[in-house]
Amino acid sequence: MVFPTDENVIVGLDRADDAGVYKISDDLALIQTVDFFTPIVDDPYWFGQIAAANALSDVYAMGGIPKTAMNLVAFPVKQMDLSVLRQIIQGGIDKLAEAGVVLIGGHSIEDKELKYGLSVTGIVHPARVLAKKSLRPGDRLVLTKPLGTGIVNTAIKAGMASADLTDKVTRLMASLNRDAAGIMLRFDVHACTDITGFGLLGHLAEMVYGSGVSVRIFSDRMPMIPEALEFAAMGLLPAGAYKNKEFRESMIDFGHRVARSVQDVLFDPQTSGGLLISVGSDQSDALVKALSAAGISDTAKIGEVLEDPKEKIWVV
Amino acid sequence: MREIDARGLACPAPVLQTKATLQEEHSGSVKVIVDNAASQQNVQRFLESQGFQTVLEQNSADYLVIGTCGDHQQPQAQPSVEEEADAKNIMVMCATDRMGFGDDELGLKLMVNFLRTLKEMGRELWRLVFVNNGVKLTIDGSEVLDDLKDFENKGYKILVCGTCLNHFNLLERKQVGETTNMLDIVTAMQVADKVINI
Repeated sequence: MVFPTDENVIVGLDRADDAGVYKISDDLALIQTVDFFTPIVDDPYWFGQIAAANALSDVYAMGGIPKTAMNLVAFPVKQMDLSVLRQIIQGGIDKLAEAGVVLIGGHSIEDKELKYGLSVTGIVHPARVLAKKSLRPGDRLVLTKPLGTGIVNTAIKAGMASADLTDKVTRLMASLNRDAAGIMLRFDVHACTDITGFGLLGHLAEMVYGSGVSVRIFSDRMPMIPEALEFAAMGLLPAGAYKNKEFRESMIDFGHRVARSVQDVLFDPQTSGGLLISVGSDQSDALVKALSAAGISDTAKIGEVLEDPKEKIWVV
Repeated sequence: MREIDARGLACPAPVLQTKATLQEEHSGSVKVIVDNAASQQNVQRFLESQGFQTVLEQNSADYLVIGTCGDHQQPQAQPSVEEEADAKNIMVMCATDRMGFGDDELGLKLMVNFLRTLKEMGRELWRLVFVNNGVKLTIDGSEVLDDLKDFENKGYKILVCGTCLNHFNLLERKQVGETTNMLDIVTAMQVADKVINI
């Protein structure tokens, strides 16, 4: 398919990045993104917050600042009380307020299944757009949230997660990537994406594919929700984890000591996951330190970029 | 054999149904039928976590997991995560087709014996790399060709130096392994926990 473009499109459909970027002037570009989904938690207010944090994340991953948002709502008005919708939207508005973003409109339709999400617009300097594929050999890879939310959500559905764990994971999904993004921009960062439905290895594969480099991932340094490993070993994986694996398997080489449950978590689809940042090696320690100091405590250096044109992902 | 029909159910329901059935009545062997590959793998993981050995099968649209448990009374949780976590990636690099110096005939015999015995390393053997004269072990007529093919079929990676094959004019005669370059070899060395040079 040929995608339409014009000279002001900095990032368009052909690049399949986190968000589209359009140049308005020499020092201003618009970032636009949209994301919506069916409920992932039972509590409508938290669902609203998570959906907003998730939609905003794409703007942060491009190195931008989100400014405005519009609601997208599909609601089964005959089966469900409108107070549910009110709580969802309140959750969204509160999360946007935390991010300094204003809700300026939206659209709703009647549907059999509840869906909620947002379209978000942000700004960035055209020369400071953080694309996915601009990894440089020698860079270190930094991840800012622990993995395993998809597996834990499956365990919640199965009634096998504790109330504490449910609460912890809900807060994790609702937490903004704003602070991590703000800190990241003070460093020599070359590429960035946010981890969502394709899982860590799926999104990493998107970064590596077409980049002309390979990466090595240290699975023992990976921040992971400990319970996710236990649930994975019990077969509580979302179907998406298997799809992610099947789609990208050919690019990935696992060392024998990487346990199957760890591999499963690396493919686990995330909701509102962390940022995956490629930073110059001399600044990587300082970046991790700054992120940890800001309370983003699960941050870790999880890998490095290799000068190897085969575009492989080695997991050791 | 206890049969569980979990067709028409999405994850995690097939696992829950299997779990509930086994809790109700423990069985030494169980057959679970699901209708998609993801559920099949999830049920396999669940049964293995409960101490079952599993076999996967597929009949047209049905995906089967057959589990058998040696100990009928008390299934043991056995995710061998610990063991796997301790396993090493061992790379064996053969730069010669003879083992040691001295008698060439003996050297070849030892090399053949070495490669045949190498499978005792089990899954920790990660890469087998042939360079220089070693590449001659991977061509037609090599005494260990069948053994190496057997390795490859079992999923071990065999890398053969392209420059070396070219030097000896053996590029066309290589019968096993992936032709490789120095960058691959160096990267593999760096990733490996242990490199054994022969």
